[in-house]
Amino acid sequence: MPSSVFTRVAGIALVLSVTATAIVTAAPADVAMIKSRQDKLRDMGSALKQIDDELKRRSPDWDNVIQPNVQILHDRSPFLQKWFPKGSGPEAGAKTYALPAIWQKGDDFAKHARGMIAEAAKLEQVFAKKDASELRAQVIALGKTCKGCHDDYRSPDYEKDAEQ
Amino acid sequence: MSVPGVGGDQKAASSLRTLRVWDSPTRAMHWVLVIAIGVCWWTGENDELEYHHYAGYVALWVILMRVYWGFVGSSTAKFANFVRGPQTVFKYVRTLHLRNTPATLGHNALGAISVLVLLATALAVVVTGLFAVDIDVLYSGPLSMYVDFREGRWFARWHSTLFDVLLVVIALHLLAVAFYYAYKRQNLVASMITGRRKVAEASGEELQVAPVWRFAAGAVIVSAAVWVVTTGFFY
Ligand code: HEC
Ligand code: HEM
Repeated sequence: MPSSVFTRVAGIALVLSVTATAIVTAAPADVAMIKSRQDKLRDMGSALKQIDDELKRRSPDWDNVIQPNVQILHDRSPFLQKWFPKGSGPEAGAKTYALPAIWQKGDDFAKHARGMIAEAAKLEQVFAKKDASELRAQVIALGKTCKGCHDDYRSPDYEKDAEQ
Repeated sequence: MSVPGVGGDQKAASSLRTLRVWDSPTRAMHWVLVIAIGVCWWTGENDELEYHHYAGYVALWVILMRVYWGFVGSSTAKFANFVRGPQTVFKYVRTLHLRNTPATLGHNALGAISVLVLLATALAVVVTGLFAVDIDVLYSGPLSMYVDFREGRWFARWHSTLFDVLLVVIALHLLAVAFYYAYKRQNLVASMITGRRKVAEASGEELQVAPVWRFAAGAVIVSAAVWVVTTGFFY
């Protein structure tokens, strides 16, 4: 009977659209925050890498390569903590390696963040001297603050996943 | 009545002969690679990346040396002498269930595949490691400066995936060794340590040992190559 076919199609369409809406609304600010913080963190990783690579060259390009990347690290590091609002952990439903400990031990997480901010600020000061070996030492000092936080607050499972 | 080649039989044992099958470089390379891979595994999983790099370079050195030895080494180490076509492999596989087949002087047709797959997989793990980027940049591979951050993360992922593949290949390798020991009564591990194997009767085939200087010459070249790689060609 055509009318029952119609009801069925309409029913399926209704179910589908409700599901779709549910998926879209279940992807609120937290999911967007996870995606965007991972992008920004990758930019910071990329910046640190580019400085490090450039310093291995015989004559590093201070103005076109190193300077903008020092700027990225210096400008972004003060905001890192804000990229981890409550609710943007694994419970948000998006792929994240942020561990729940971030919100359980907020003070310690903040301490790691401050350590990085201090070393990133120092990176800018050392940059002004344009001394390759001194800047390289500072890149390592900053990298250690990144690693210090990752060791405690980033899940090591990231290696096992296909993306990122 | 006694079946030649089956261990435990007194009469057969008395007629057993000892034959050299592996030269010392081949044995040494085998065990150093085992240790290097073990150290790479432990240091990789436990975030000891500085030592991970060193162990990885040792693995790279051994793999390159083994490939070199596969061309100019002793007879049982040479690829040309043990790598066989699919037909021979298939024929060999059909005799696998027989318990008293004679042991081959070097690798058997199936073992040859295992050697090639192990070397290729281990090399793939090492090469992806050389280009891998660590997110905090402290311990990126020495060739990572030739790729950007994204590409380097891609290498890091493959490095991890290929290592899992390597573990599977190693597991198959060990299973095969266990099968030969339990079912065919051939102790392949002892041979890889002592370089010798007991056979019922000599087939007339003998191990042709390559001169040591040839190994030394390769070692000089391969060491230089590995060192250049570790500096990222910025020597
Ligand atoms: C206060 C803690 C903290 C500090 C300091 C920190 N990070 Fe992270 N970082 C994290 C956490 C947590 C994650 C996991 C985020 C996620 O998966 O949602 C992460 C993830 C990353 C990622 C992976 C992003 C992805 O998923 O692709 C990169 C790259 C990164 N950080 C770079 C850096 C660099 C470079 C520094 C230092 C300049 C740094 N981080 C400092 C906590 C920190
Ligand atoms: C046989 C040789 C090697 C083996 C078996 C091996 C194995 C491993 C393992 C198990 C990990 C940890 C992955 C995980 O957490 O799941 C790892 C990580 C890593 N390896 Fe290797 N590795 C080898 C050689 C190398 C070499 C030669 C280099 C470069 C010098 C290298 C660089 C790295 C880096 C940079 C990481 C960390 C990647 C990251 O932080 O994402 N490896 N390796």
